[in-house]
Amino acid sequence: MVASTAELESLVLAVGGDGIAASHLIPAGQDGETFQPRAQDVARISEANVVVRVGVDYDLWLDALLRQSGNAAVERGGPGYVDASTYVALLDVRAGGVGPGDGHAHGRGNPHYWLDPANAEMITGAILEALARVDPAHAKRYEANRTRFLGELEAKVREWTRLLEHAPPLMAYHDTWPYLARRFRLRFVGIVETRPGVAASPAHLAQLVAAGKEAGVKAIVREPWEPARDADFIAQRCGATVVVLASGVGAVPQARDYVSLIDYDVQALARVGSR
Amino acid sequence: MWDPVSFLALPALACAALVAIHAYFGLHVLRRNVVFVDLALAQVAALGATVAFLVGHAPQGAAAHAYAAGFTLAAAALLASSRSWSARVPQEAQIGVIYVVAAAAALLIVDRAPQGAEHIRQILTGNILTVGWDELRWAIALYAIVGAVYPVLARRLDPASWRSDFAFYAAFGLVVTSSVALAGVLLVFAFLIVPAAIGVLHADTFRRQLVIAWIAGTATSLVGLAISYAADLSTGATLVCAYGVALMIAGLVRALRGAARARLAAAGRGARLLLAGLLAVSGLWIVASPAADQPVLDAIERVVPSARSLYIDDTALATANEARQYAARYRSEAEALRKRESESRWNGSPIPDEEVRRIASFLKSYNEMIRGEEFVVREVRNRARAAHRFALGAAFLLAAALLSWPRLYASRT
Repeated sequence: MVASTAELESLVLAVGGDGIAASHLIPAGQDGETFQPRAQDVARISEANVVVRVGVDYDLWLDALLRQSGNAAVERGGPGYVDASTYVALLDVRAGGVGPGDGHAHGRGNPHYWLDPANAEMITGAILEALARVDPAHAKRYEANRTRFLGELEAKVREWTRLLEHAPPLMAYHDTWPYLARRFRLRFVGIVETRPGVAASPAHLAQLVAAGKEAGVKAIVREPWEPARDADFIAQRCGATVVVLASGVGAVPQARDYVSLIDYDVQALARVGSR
Repeated sequence: MWDPVSFLALPALACAALVAIHAYFGLHVLRRNVVFVDLALAQVAALGATVAFLVGHAPQGAAAHAYAAGFTLAAAALLASSRSWSARVPQEAQIGVIYVVAAAAALLIVDRAPQGAEHIRQILTGNILTVGWDELRWAIALYAIVGAVYPVLARRLDPASWRSDFAFYAAFGLVVTSSVALAGVLLVFAFLIVPAAIGVLHADTFRRQLVIAWIAGTATSLVGLAISYAADLSTGATLVCAYGVALMIAGLVRALRGAARARLAAAGRGARLLLAGLLAVSGLWIVASPAADQPVLDAIERVVPSARSLYIDDTALATANEARQYAARYRSEAEALRKRESESRWNGSPIPDEEVRRIASFLKSYNEMIRGEEFVVREVRNRARAAHRFALGAAFLLAAALLSWPRLYASRT
């Protein structure tokens, strides 16, 4: 089994259990939206029985790899092809040319949907379907694995919800967190980088600082690879701190798998709230 | 409140400091004909910081800086020692190879060290707008030391010697490593080359070139910062473009210097003929393919929207206006829906998944409807252009003719 990201791989393993071998394509801790496939990735896919992708225009490079691999089983529409976003309720679907300050370049919706732990149910559902198609002999076991995993996750979600009950208003460098925000009722007052790769203008920064002060923003959220300077700049002027969150498994050493990824982010935000 | 002056004071100071040191090195870089050396050295420094991370040092700590500086000095030694080849292989080629190899090697290392990619980015993607006083203080101190020591040292060394080259690349490497982290590669390149080029265009001695470079560079920075604030544009990119324009203006001024009157008249004639040519080509283009992009006609309509009514009749204009209004309404309705959903994430009662899915499909439909209305606007315009293609083309050709032969309408020019 091949997944495009390490967090999807972790969910694949949660369903597949010990019986399956899984790998991921985007190296852990790298920005998936700027990934360039490597030579061995084609080989990995041509040997795979199931390929799981993020979809929502996040891993468009995978289409070329699938074509190149010539593996009909995992091509679009094949029994081993899984678009993990299939059953997810997508946020921030764009309706042409809305004004500035709206965050993402993804017209089809924000692709960071795995950051809502409730969406793990939809993602693992899609994975389970493919596993049952490819390997019907073990379908029962996969289903049991998934049910157990979702049960454990549910207990975790209750704990996480309690931890984030009184989370303060936040601001983010890139619009990576709407799903996390929706699940745990977090308020993101603004986004620093409104167009991917374009640094903020002075007027936009000034407006963010003003909005941040007014709303009492306590933390500026950035990912490890996002510019520290810009986040520090706003944090200093709003009297907030900078919190480094992980959007994927491996982005920080503590995020070893799907559950510890969400756990790391929640704990980091809860520490801000308790300050 | 955030007035522009307090917001842009630190970036302006940073620009002045960066111009001061880079204009000086830029003049040397132009003389040595190694314009891309800054990119190569910055990339090598980033490689050094990545290696520091790989072997277990904290990012942005003293060890990381030491690694970056060490790698830069090694690259300086390499560049200085390979000068003997430059009769056969130009130095610029060697610089290019150092750049691509450093960039590629960093990628390979990142593959081995998870969480490593960020350090390359932090080193190469400074942002002049959010520069902090803490960093700037150190950078200014470094520039002051290098600016004081290097010229004295350079005078004592034999310019043809290996040592002289090494001193230059080492001093410049230290400066560039710190400045790229402050301002990013694009802007540092502009700071390095453009003021120096303006100086060389307008003076012959090093001293005069340097003074002109300082004045032109600092003034351009201030204008660029002001534009970036007023027009709400990304500061680094605005500054780089401002430098491009400044070099163009400097080139024009240079071309017009001297026998001003005759040259000015010649330039005016040239500009007029250029404009006439543009209009003539546009006229023919409209006749040939009225539905294609018509940049000149579009530009005229953007400046004078009522120009449309010259060739689109009232009913068609009304249709297009109605479509525009619908598109605007759909846009605001979609925006309101989006806002409601994003508010509900933290405020009021949460919206269930089913409702979120419905909102998403509504937004998609709005998108289609807006596109439909935009299609109507374009289609109405294209049909009118097709119907009046010969009249429009003739008007453009007439304007072109009037511009090329002023004597048709004036007794004497």
